[in-house]
Amino acid sequence: MSVRVVTLRLASILVVVAYAAAVRAQGLPSEPIALAGGRVTVSGDVSATFGSPDPGFFNYTDYEHSALRLVRIDVAAAAKAGPHFSLLGEVRSENIDTLQAYALFARIRPWTGRDFDIQVGRIPPTFGAFGRRAYANDNPLIGYPLAYQYLTSLRPDALPASADELLQKRSLGWLVRYSVGAPNVDRGVPLVSALRWDSGVQVHAGAGIFSAAAAITAGTVSNPLFSDDNGGRQFAGRFEVRPIAGLIAGTSFARGRFVSDAAVRSALGDAAPSEDFRQTAWGADAEYSHGYYLVRFESIVSAWRVPTIRAPAIDEPLRAVSTSVEGRYKIVPGLYAAARVEHLGFSDVVGSTSTLPWDAPVTRVEVGTGYSLQRNLLLKISYQHNTRDGGVLRRIENLGAGQLVFWF
Amino acid sequence: MRNLTRTQREPRTQRERRALDVKVRVFPFVSLLASVSFVTFVSFAAVPSVGVGAARNGVIRGRVEVRRVMPQVERRPGVTDLGAPAARDVDDRMRSVVYLESAPRRAFEVDEGGRAVMDQRNETFVPHLLAIMTGTTVDFPNSDKFYHNVFSLSKPARFDLGRYSAGHSRSIRFDRPGIVRVFCDIHSHMSAFILVFSHPYFAVTDSQGRYHIDNVPPGNYGVIAWNEGNPSEPKAVVVPDGGAAELDFALR
Repeated sequence: MSVRVVTLRLASILVVVAYAAAVRAQGLPSEPIALAGGRVTVSGDVSATFGSPDPGFFNYTDYEHSALRLVRIDVAAAAKAGPHFSLLGEVRSENIDTLQAYALFARIRPWTGRDFDIQVGRIPPTFGAFGRRAYANDNPLIGYPLAYQYLTSLRPDALPASADELLQKRSLGWLVRYSVGAPNVDRGVPLVSALRWDSGVQVHAGAGIFSAAAAITAGTVSNPLFSDDNGGRQFAGRFEVRPIAGLIAGTSFARGRFVSDAAVRSALGDAAPSEDFRQTAWGADAEYSHGYYLVRFESIVSAWRVPTIRAPAIDEPLRAVSTSVEGRYKIVPGLYAAARVEHLGFSDVVGSTSTLPWDAPVTRVEVGTGYSLQRNLLLKISYQHNTRDGGVLRRIENLGAGQLVFWF
Repeated sequence: MRNLTRTQREPRTQRERRALDVKVRVFPFVSLLASVSFVTFVSFAAVPSVGVGAARNGVIRGRVEVRRVMPQVERRPGVTDLGAPAARDVDDRMRSVVYLESAPRRAFEVDEGGRAVMDQRNETFVPHLLAIMTGTTVDFPNSDKFYHNVFSLSKPARFDLGRYSAGHSRSIRFDRPGIVRVFCDIHSHMSAFILVFSHPYFAVTDSQGRYHIDNVPPGNYGVIAWNEGNPSEPKAVVVPDGGAAELDFALR
């Protein structure tokens, strides 16, 4: 079935669903639900995405979930206990699956007159810009940026024995198996996970046009964890400046132990230290908006060190670089157009017979539009052109998708 | 609904009213649309029995008691924020609008074309409630240090003023009567009401709930009080020649 036919069918379905939802939404809340005199507030984000089949697995967030075929329900709540303390949490369901707690943390503000907070628990991402606006309502398009969604072939719990084995797995990050460590097939990791949050302590401070945050957590930016699997901690920091209205520039850094103890033991024996096998990530981002347009840029460099047990060895850190430019323009009230151009590249690895990027580089162009049926009911349609340079899966894929977003 | 003057001069038939009623039930796309339709429909339906000769105009005054104040719209839980948000001001939701259900014919010949201001200050619209006549231009200055983006998807005035910073202002002229809900695209807890009338016989209550509608030609009228989307039942009042009529409301 051609992309055009799929897109037309999707558009027809969405128009019907959108109309029904618009009628139905009259009886639903349009503002956060406030309880106990405003001390408890509850909000929700619901998005239903219908996209064309993705046999190249460009948009998968794991083997079962594609970002283009997903019903996601988020319910967030905040409970304030005075001016110094509040408890925040979020539960999420994907494809009407079981509810999972994505966030649950205490926010402590020692001095009410100062912009200084301590957050403890399953905390929001410190690193990067997109991770904190990964809700469908904040994303002008339907797909996620590659750095936050595309699954590389690396796993924290299973390892390639050599550079050759790693090169054999190019483009298979959606479901990959290695000969060392965990024997099961599982998904690889993205550069930075936007879909899971890490656990730890975060400190945030702001003064004038500057703000900064630092966190110590159990996992890494590509593999956030609730309970640690290697006894190491990640340090992450972010610095942000807002020199003029509408301009936000930020830089981020994170470094933490990536490979699980079990995988290191499988590779190097019981006595091997796991602290050498880290993920280090740097990020730079900027956003500028004025009038009816908004432009965002984000670039992330990530380097992983992993052990190998056979020649040819993986000597250098495995690097990945993502660059994304996104824009949105409001055409008329309630209607906007948006586009994102991005590339995800990988460093070369020397194998027995060839030298190749350790995973297949991906380029994506996504264009789309959004129309507000109501203030809190948004219909989005987008078109994606994905290209993959190498690997064993399909290399070019054009995908259409529609999304209905409701929030309160 | 678009042309209150024409409709006022030629009242709708029962059939037309039923058709409009059916439309409202079948296409409830925007919740406010129902309110807007209600206000304008009632305005069309009521026929004033007024004498507008050389008589002296009078005043309608009184007080509106709001028994159940609509709660402040809270911020959405800032689960993704790195810190707690700054404090913001509280909307004044006690104020109401009192207006004539139907107005004398000559009222629609007025074209005021004035200006009004709705400020954006400390993440609130000030005032939270504005009542204006058609033809009025409303300025929306930004008095905060950060961007705001005023917009409305209401049928009488669908607009988006884009993002602009402190010290700047943008404006929009309101040419259609009805209820316009105003929001900020960046701060979802910011909202305001603008009630646009085709006639000048309306007033916004003060902080004590008091109001007075001046220069009302003597006659019999229906008067409605409105607060945060809740209109009262119309109350009958007789405005004497050159005198004042007292009328109080209690809104739930």
